[in-house]
Amino acid sequence: MLCRVADSLFWMSRYIERAENTVRLVDVTHQTLLETEHSGDGAGYSHWEPTLLTLGDKAAYDTLYSERSSFNVTEFLTFNRDNPSSVYSCIASARENARTIRDQISTEMWETLNKLYLFVKRADAQKVCSESDFEFFARIKEFSHLFRGILESTFPQDIGYEYVVCGREIERAVKTCQILDTKRHMPSMVKKVDDALDAVQFAAILRSCTGFEAFHHEYGSDLDATPVRQFLLLSRKFPRSALFCIKRLQSSMHAISGCPITHFSNTSERLTGRLLSTLNYALAEDVQGKNGDKMIDTIKAELGAIAIAFSRQYMAAEIYDPELEQSQSQS
Amino acid sequence: MNITYDHSGFFDEMYQADGTPRPHYAKLVETLSSLSDTDFKTRKEAVELAFLQQGITFTVYGNEESTEKIFPFDLIPRIIPASEWAHLEKGLIQRMTALNLFLHDVYHEQKIVKDGIVPIEVLQSGKHFRKEMVGFEPPKGIYIHICGTDLIRDHKGDYLVLEDNGRCPSGVSYMIENRRAMKKAFPLLFPVSGARSITDYPDKLHKALEYVAPFDGDATIAVLTPGIYNSAYFEHCFLARQMGAEIVQGQDLVVNDDDCLYMKTTVGLKRVDVLYRRIDDDFIDPEVFRKDSVLGVPGLMRAYRAGNLSLANAIGTGIADDKVTYCFVPDMIKYYLDQDPILPNVETFLPYRDKDMKYVQENMENLVVKAANEAGGYGMLIGPHATKAEIADFREKVKKHPRDFIAQPPISLSRHPTYCDGGLDGRHVDLRPYILQSDKVRVIPGGLTRVALRKGSLVVNSSQGGGSKDTWVLNADQ
Repeated sequence: MLCRVADSLFWMSRYIERAENTVRLVDVTHQTLLETEHSGDGAGYSHWEPTLLTLGDKAAYDTLYSERSSFNVTEFLTFNRDNPSSVYSCIASARENARTIRDQISTEMWETLNKLYLFVKRADAQKVCSESDFEFFARIKEFSHLFRGILESTFPQDIGYEYVVCGREIERAVKTCQILDTKRHMPSMVKKVDDALDAVQFAAILRSCTGFEAFHHEYGSDLDATPVRQFLLLSRKFPRSALFCIKRLQSSMHAISGCPITHFSNTSERLTGRLLSTLNYALAEDVQGKNGDKMIDTIKAELGAIAIAFSRQYMAAEIYDPELEQSQSQS
Repeated sequence: MNITYDHSGFFDEMYQADGTPRPHYAKLVETLSSLSDTDFKTRKEAVELAFLQQGITFTVYGNEESTEKIFPFDLIPRIIPASEWAHLEKGLIQRMTALNLFLHDVYHEQKIVKDGIVPIEVLQSGKHFRKEMVGFEPPKGIYIHICGTDLIRDHKGDYLVLEDNGRCPSGVSYMIENRRAMKKAFPLLFPVSGARSITDYPDKLHKALEYVAPFDGDATIAVLTPGIYNSAYFEHCFLARQMGAEIVQGQDLVVNDDDCLYMKTTVGLKRVDVLYRRIDDDFIDPEVFRKDSVLGVPGLMRAYRAGNLSLANAIGTGIADDKVTYCFVPDMIKYYLDQDPILPNVETFLPYRDKDMKYVQENMENLVVKAANEAGGYGMLIGPHATKAEIADFREKVKKHPRDFIAQPPISLSRHPTYCDGGLDGRHVDLRPYILQSDKVRVIPGGLTRVALRKGSLVVNSSQGGGSKDTWVLNADQ
């Protein structure tokens, strides 16, 4: 497979996952806003700030908008073409990557992505941003699920497929950590006047990861920091937990190289294996309080390093010689 | 639906002068008359939506907003009866054969120049004459493997050759997609239409490329594209996918010290044997041609000259589709084949000859002036439709660079019923058949009919508001 094709498959997949997650974040924040009493747009904005902070987009927002309002943040995260991680930009980038490899992916995959792009491009931004248009967000989520289904049933499950999985799982794990991290930036009450606030916030976080129901299955109704973190970071069953994503990432990486999972043949495999065992062998106390904050930061940083090493390994224009690589990892 | 319209004043493809449909259009006229307006419109909208959703688009340069456009497709097919096609086919084979002989000659002995048929200045001043090709024998001696020749019909309905596209002719994917769209829109029309199939074009192209592989056995074939921003990117992908070939960009390729071309893959380098390149000579190898090109592959010419790589089309074919060279094609046919040209050229004036310059300067308002080396309808003047200022501007340009222009009397291109503004009306059309050369010359029975959608316009290029039609070559004469 051409390096460029691998790169495009990886990024096409990553951008779709990113768009879907951002849509879910925006959608859930809108819904939470409706549950919370707030007066005026200024108060509305305070609910958005944690999202901007955790996505690392606050500075970008402030340079693009003078006014801090719920409307503007929604516009920024959904439609703004100058924001490279807005839903529109992600979908446009996913489509552009798909366009460069149109000959490699199935017609159905391409057409679904193209339809999604046309849908977002033609959407009425004014209406979506002012009226919390659930229908709009639901359609994008459905498109993303549709794409996944089409991928599974039309795309040959060989090396190319593994690149798609790698892109998706890296992005998904990062996003789960980021969404979990929004709690750190959320307004907390000095005195516990309102116990319900924490619960509303955790519920929003779980919903953003589509994990609300699954969480209750695993942990009952205990909407508290530690179980929520345990669930989103360490669950072995929930498909969006960090551990689950990284495990999938590992098996796809090794499917690409053919190296057994007990060894590693390159840096990205070594880093992934190391990160996975940190999560595999973590205890409840490792995700509590400051330890938990640290763990979230570590996962995010390690995933960043893994993505770089992975792309150097397979997608860089440098000429890659598998034999040379083998002798290096053995020595 | 109503299928009558004013078909007077020009040669009409569907109606004879007396108002009856030509025999080969009779069945179509019958079908269309039985359709309701709404039914037709519904089918048309369905086809347009499908094109957009499938992303069958092209890029318009110099237009920042919405650079991706669908190529407007007209649902009324153009029909060519068998005997008419037999004549065209013979003429195109003759022309293709002569052009390849000409290219071989000008890059070797140049007998045609020595014998005084083609003046040496034509070669010396031709932008696309490649000195790097002098003395080089391309695989199997073929220069133009793929040609798209533009034909038009005059007021009598006679076919004339407007130009030969012997570099990287585009549009063939639309020929195939248009047929597919027609089948979807009018499934019942097809079993009885008698139209010959064109869908095996990619297979024929694949065989033509395999034919020139540097060695026997399984050759790796790749399509070289400038990338997604190129106007024909859709087509490059389409052809690669249909042929099962790799689609590559310059950045994917490298020429090693062994003078072989390789693709960079996730498991190392893989050799490429035949490259169907859709990048012009100028950009293909910065070591030899334009140094600033980032689209090409440094060292590509080394691999080509070493015989480790075949290119289609060969380097240097541009000298044959230069519009000045075009004037000499009838002479070439006589010279190399000792035959009379079956398909005539359009009468052409060459301002670099003094007597033609005088005529062109004096009659510019009645002539079509074209740049000799531009494609896509860029850089051209249609005298009868131009303003005084535009004419004055071209007078200057032609005076300064006589070799860069040619002039022709405007041909009143034939018209074809086309659906516009809610009904049928006559619009000017041309025809681009596709011709492949391998062990022999093959003409694909069909082609791309381009139509100027603006009323009265003679410019059919997609970049200038043209659309296209499905083209049926019939098994019989009706």
